[in-house]
Amino acid sequence: MKFISIMLGGILIQNFVFMQYLGLCPFLGLSEQMDTALGMSGAVIFVMTFASTVAAAFEQFILVPLHLEYMRTIAYILVIAGFVQLVEIFLKKTVPSLYKALGIYLPLITTNCAVLGVALLNARQSYGVLWGTVNGLAGALGWSVAIIIFAGIRERWKFMNIPGTLKGFPLALVATSLMALSFQGFSRLFASVLK
Amino acid sequence: MKRSLLHEFTKGFIEENATFRMVIGMCPTLAVTTSVKNGFWMGVAVIFVLTFSNVFVSLLRKMIPDQIRIPIFVILIATPVVIVELLMRAYLPAMYEILGVFVPLIVVNCIIIARAEAFAYKESVLRSFLDGLGIGAGFTCNLMIIGGIREFLGTGQIALGSFVFPSVKLFEPLVVMLTPPGGFMTLGLLMAILNIAVARSAQKKAH
Amino acid sequence: MGEKLIVTPSPHIKSPRTVKGVMLGVVISLLPACVGAVVLFGMNALLILITSVVSAVVAEALWQRATKQEITVGDFSAVITGLLLAMTLPPGVPLYVPAVGSVFAIVIAKQIFGGLGSNFVNPALAGRAFVLAAWPMSVAGAWLNPLTHDAVSSPTPLAVLKGGGTNIPGLWDLLIGNRTGSLGETSIILLLLGGLFLLVTKIIDWRTPVGFLGTLFVGTWVFGKPGALFQGDGLSAILLGGAVLGAFFMATDYVTSPVTPKGRLIFGIGAGLVTLLIRLWGGYPEGVTYGILFMNLMTPIIDRFVVPKYYGYEHDARARKSAEGKR
Repeated sequence: MKFISIMLGGILIQNFVFMQYLGLCPFLGLSEQMDTALGMSGAVIFVMTFASTVAAAFEQFILVPLHLEYMRTIAYILVIAGFVQLVEIFLKKTVPSLYKALGIYLPLITTNCAVLGVALLNARQSYGVLWGTVNGLAGALGWSVAIIIFAGIRERWKFMNIPGTLKGFPLALVATSLMALSFQGFSRLFASVLK
Repeated sequence: MKRSLLHEFTKGFIEENATFRMVIGMCPTLAVTTSVKNGFWMGVAVIFVLTFSNVFVSLLRKMIPDQIRIPIFVILIATPVVIVELLMRAYLPAMYEILGVFVPLIVVNCIIIARAEAFAYKESVLRSFLDGLGIGAGFTCNLMIIGGIREFLGTGQIALGSFVFPSVKLFEPLVVMLTPPGGFMTLGLLMAILNIAVARSAQKKAH
Repeated sequence: MGEKLIVTPSPHIKSPRTVKGVMLGVVISLLPACVGAVVLFGMNALLILITSVVSAVVAEALWQRATKQEITVGDFSAVITGLLLAMTLPPGVPLYVPAVGSVFAIVIAKQIFGGLGSNFVNPALAGRAFVLAAWPMSVAGAWLNPLTHDAVSSPTPLAVLKGGGTNIPGLWDLLIGNRTGSLGETSIILLLLGGLFLLVTKIIDWRTPVGFLGTLFVGTWVFGKPGALFQGDGLSAILLGGAVLGAFFMATDYVTSPVTPKGRLIFGIGAGLVTLLIRLWGGYPEGVTYGILFMNLMTPIIDRFVVPKYYGYEHDARARKSAEGKR
């Protein structure tokens, strides 16, 4: 039940992009093509899920016992950056085709504030390793759903007559606003059942 | 031609305006601009971190090897972020609660890494300091403007401590402005208006 | 021929149908229900309808003038947006609500993206979602009693159902509109008349409304009663709320729904599912707005997966299969 609650939370009820303002830079920047969106989504799902695991483990086994919670920010960012670096090296050696496919997306994820964001949120809600991982997965899926939907919409903009000054970010932001409005329907979904 | 020292500071407000020209640092820009006050304090936090990081990156720039410069930047940025977190927790606990996870997230704020990489790594300490101060101050202004619009439309008034403007209700507030859809829309429309204004003035100059 | 309006994938067949013609057809089909709304709710309804339509038309004209484009309000699309938005509002709503809603619908949801044909969400529904989020108390609460026009604080039938109650008006009252609700919720008979007109004139595809209402009916019948299965009131579900209005007039909007027949069926079913989800377990009594808006967002993806490889592909595949079968 908690699993469903967290999953629905990250994807529909409190979507990471549309409700929690996380991961916006890559969301806005990489949503122009469906292929890019799909590629980045795959990378994000993988990294965000397991980076959450690693960060939560670090929290549980090192930070808390040593009362170093105030070092959380530094610790997490180093842990995440290190993890991404390790993944990069590992992929390069074992599955070079995948490494090539992901290209620059992989290092780019370190700056995706959603990754650090979800790890910090996990700590704030004391989720522990298991639920922290689930939350990471949920957030990543929510982010992916958002960017895939957006890419579908943006690809159509090639065929439309958009005034020059509005092209790019202004239009993307207004469109995101409309998408966020559409997702508002899911707020408090299953509220009575999940609480 | 080296820019004047004053210019290093003022460029953060218009030409190199973080939000509207460079379009970076989007997450906090949208998340905390639900009021002028929130925008202000987030801005102050960013100014502190940005100037601190710029100064130290610049100080150490000759000693930082190119290969591992990004991780070093991250450490140099994370340090002032932790300091800001602790200071805020101690002296502005209410604001710390409101800004939530976005205070520590300053560490991955693209603005700070971008300035370290593009400027502080190459320029003198004094210039880096002014750059950090200026871009940060410009960013703070952006946050306060967006925050002001959203707060005014979303609550009908702007509250700065005991000063509340306007004192009478002029219209029924649009609650949506305080939520994500309202935030995205405000930023998008502001950017559009600014782009149009810039394009128009460029056209005028051309004639 | 009228303006460019991409409705199906190529090849295209020339028809005497123009954008203006189609739009006029929609306006005509809406008129009976509008009249019904005015009969039931009086001056309030009339003012809301007028404000909404005028705001929409003026907003579009001003925007097109300001951006130095040809003014296309004569194509009636703004009029339709205005009418539809008004129909989603409760009769007691202050007039700034339809005004602001219409401006938002036309400028933000439609014109900023390039005007007719370029929007990705239904403008009227986007406008409604906006005003609902901006003034939740008004837009979800300003109910009036039909025919007597006095303000009402008791929940609408839809809200009653959501709360688990069963005290809702009987079938006849539901059909003719003798109950509280928004302008376009009440006179179902008149709406169905309009919907029939649209179907007969082939302005809309039957698949979307059937998919939508069908899913809502079956879903509510199966899950509608808390704690039991197959005991829900499916009929009331489709006669209440914005279901009929949405099914015939909004889910069928060419621009924001899929291009293929199969896609349209999927759209209808999907919208029905989301509406069901929100009505039964979500935070709002009415889910039609969000059901359709969400499927608007999914339309590009639906089109991607449902468009046939080339015209006649499915026919060829069948011919090939039967030829193999005969050997």
